[in-house]
Amino acid sequence: MATKVLPAREPRSVGRSLLLTLPIALWSALMFAPIFRGASRPDRIAEAATGIFMVVLFFMMMRTWSTYRWRRWFFVAMGLLFPVGFIHTVMVMRGTMGIPIEEMIAGRTPFCFLPIPLLILPAALTKTLVFPGSILPNGGMSGGGMAAMAALWLGITIVVGKGWCSYACFFGGIEEGMASIPAKAKVRKIDPRWRYGPWAVLLAMVLLSLALFEPAYCMWLCPFKAVSEYVAARSTVGMIQNGIFIVLFAGLVIALPLLTKKRTQCAFFCPFGAFQSLFNKTSVFDVKIDKTRCTPCVLCQKSCPTMALTDESIAKGETLMSCMKCGACVDACPKDAAVWHIRGTEVAVKPERARLMFLYAAWAMAVMFGGRIIAGGLATILHLFV
Amino acid sequence: MRTLMAKLGYTGAGLTLCAAVLAPFVLYGMFTKGFASLGLHVDEMYSGGPKVRTVQAAGYTIDIHRQVSPHMWQREKPFVQLDWKPVSALPSHVSDLVDIDGDGQPDVRVTFDVPKDSKAPLRVNVDSLNPRYEAMWNVGRKKFSDLIVRVDDAILVRVPVAQ
Repeated sequence: MATKVLPAREPRSVGRSLLLTLPIALWSALMFAPIFRGASRPDRIAEAATGIFMVVLFFMMMRTWSTYRWRRWFFVAMGLLFPVGFIHTVMVMRGTMGIPIEEMIAGRTPFCFLPIPLLILPAALTKTLVFPGSILPNGGMSGGGMAAMAALWLGITIVVGKGWCSYACFFGGIEEGMASIPAKAKVRKIDPRWRYGPWAVLLAMVLLSLALFEPAYCMWLCPFKAVSEYVAARSTVGMIQNGIFIVLFAGLVIALPLLTKKRTQCAFFCPFGAFQSLFNKTSVFDVKIDKTRCTPCVLCQKSCPTMALTDESIAKGETLMSCMKCGACVDACPKDAAVWHIRGTEVAVKPERARLMFLYAAWAMAVMFGGRIIAGGLATILHLFV
Repeated sequence: MRTLMAKLGYTGAGLTLCAAVLAPFVLYGMFTKGFASLGLHVDEMYSGGPKVRTVQAAGYTIDIHRQVSPHMWQREKPFVQLDWKPVSALPSHVSDLVDIDGDGQPDVRVTFDVPKDSKAPLRVNVDSLNPRYEAMWNVGRKKFSDLIVRVDDAILVRVPVAQ
């Protein structure tokens, strides 16, 4: 069936868009203002630029009614600037990207969110955290202990659920950037069974972490070790581990997104993403397909970066639980059938209200967490020149 | 029923917005304190276990930690961690008899050099005077269960315990 494209929606008026952006502008000022006190000039410039960047993107979301393409600017910026700030910090503090054993013993290994699901079973059974970091909020290498990261994760997850993967994950932007480079996908047919990959990796890593009492994913499979920190290659095993990190990064984060235009690491591999999918069930915001408007042209399915839409799910008017609320399908739908939705309400009744409520919550988190990361990376670069 | 569900949905969305606003000011602090108060501890294979005794030596101390045993299939041996500190008070060559189990008899003789360069690699020899503790020769920092490393103002030696 041919798809009848609805006439392009008129942009929202500048005044109304500005009015809708005002809360985010105030929030950005609140988030970045305290840092101005005592910060160096490059830091102040980076904070101001990031604040403006985040506000402008939100304004464009309001003005154009589009979410995905503006969110992508933020997400890619975060993905590219996180390694800049992080690598700079580890190089200054320890002089190498490799984690020396004494840093692990001292509890100074930086803790990211990826091992969280792996730590739950050992912690529940033995009250032991199988990670060589610090629990204290002000612990860790740069003052970010496990308690701080866990608190941030929990706070943001309560607000956006699986939306973490679109608004807070500081690794996903690299592959989203890669996926956005080619105009068309070279590999279009992907076996849908790959979708179960993250669950398989999650199950394997949770059990291995419990059995070996180590964060197995961080030790063996994390592709992002290639752009953050790695096991100091003290032995052949260390060299093998580092080899695996590089191969996975090159394959899943660089090559496959370029070929498929999908976030392949997130869609087929990331155990944290699978774990985070569980929180889609607790979030009040989701994306639905209005069956009365759907043709179905499956443009939404094609546009989804994590293959969270299938023929069956579209027929049911739903996304899969792996939907990370990036808004790609909503933007791609020519019939306005893919809509933002609040649980309990009727589908396609005031979808813009649902979008606005979700975006205020999600963008507030993006400014608070991602904004700091962007500003940190920018400041690192500016310190070299200013 | 539909109206009620819709009202509940909007209430949830409103509460989520409130949570977003409160996250950096209230929730973050609450969750951080909550997490820190769960009574969790970092695996002793990394932290070395709690200190049980301190032995006074000439101008410096040796902290003796509780024995750490591996869990399930953890790829390490059981060990005891000994900390020499402060590093600034250590002579350039340390050779100490250490009574690990506190029975009044020395269990191991630990010998290592203390280079002035804090980044210089360390090597340790451990002579076993009690079959419960394993000897080590020219060991650096390859494994968590038998190593010598400098951590802040201490030199840590981990002596493997015979299984």
